[in-house]
Amino acid sequence: MLKMDLAKTLEILPRSIWVFLCNSGSCNGCDIEVVATLTPRYDIERFGMKLVGSPRHADALLVTGPVTKYMTERLKHIYDQMPDPKVVIVVGNCGCSGDVFYKSYSLDGPVDQVLPVDVYVHGCPPRPEAIIEGVAKAVLKLEALRESLDSKEADVADVAQS
Amino acid sequence: MMLGTVQSGFGYWNVYAWIVFFALAAVLVFYFRSAGRSDYKVGTYQDEIFYGGNPVPKDGDEIAVPASSAYWGFTEALSPFYKLLLSLHTGIASDYVGYLVVTTALISALIVL
Ligand code: SF4
Repeated sequence: MLKMDLAKTLEILPRSIWVFLCNSGSCNGCDIEVVATLTPRYDIERFGMKLVGSPRHADALLVTGPVTKYMTERLKHIYDQMPDPKVVIVVGNCGCSGDVFYKSYSLDGPVDQVLPVDVYVHGCPPRPEAIIEGVAKAVLKLEALRESLDSKEADVADVAQS
Repeated sequence: MMLGTVQSGFGYWNVYAWIVFFALAAVLVFYFRSAGRSDYKVGTYQDEIFYGGNPVPKDGDEIAVPASSAYWGFTEALSPFYKLLLSLHTGIASDYVGYLVVTTALISALIVL
């Protein structure tokens, strides 16, 4: 007989983080590594991480690239479209620091000049293992955010009742 | 019989079984729907259609791509041929009669020779 512990299952489910990938001007190297984490060798989908096609379905925004001027407004818009709680993961040296492009005339980045960043993953491009570690950190951060959001909601409900 | 059981040879179809199945599916759908979070902020970007991070166009026609665009390369490549055909279609009856006479004469000549 298949025994299912419902409470445990419900506790695990939110850990399946859904990610929206935004290329803010990357050379595509980082994006290829992100896709590599989904391939059978690393297969991060077995832990529940999934790339989704709309930020409105996403828990995390994964940004690659150093944020070109053209992408600034779009990146902010995409971030604003995500439901709370949300985290931002930056993948690649470009997004973390601007890397060799940091003085470029066409950049508004790095990413933390535009959005509040939660997790930095360094490397040019970072290996899939590093990306997986970054995602694991993002899950922890997301859990903490979700708890604080839930407790805030409970407070609001208490105030409304009293 | 509308309300009876229909045997298809592969299985059966019964209106009562269908209604029971539909009701079960509806209950499941409403359960999953009610289990979702409803705390997104209405009236903000969180509530807006995702359009690649760009503002959503007010008028859908602005961004509509007509189906004829799919044939653009085809019609462009064959445009000299189409231009010739269009110039032949003058809409003047005497032109068409002329084409008929010339074509009949050519075919007759081929048959006779
Ligand atoms: S960090 Fe390296 S691989 Fe990633 S976008 Fe920048 S240059 Fe490309």
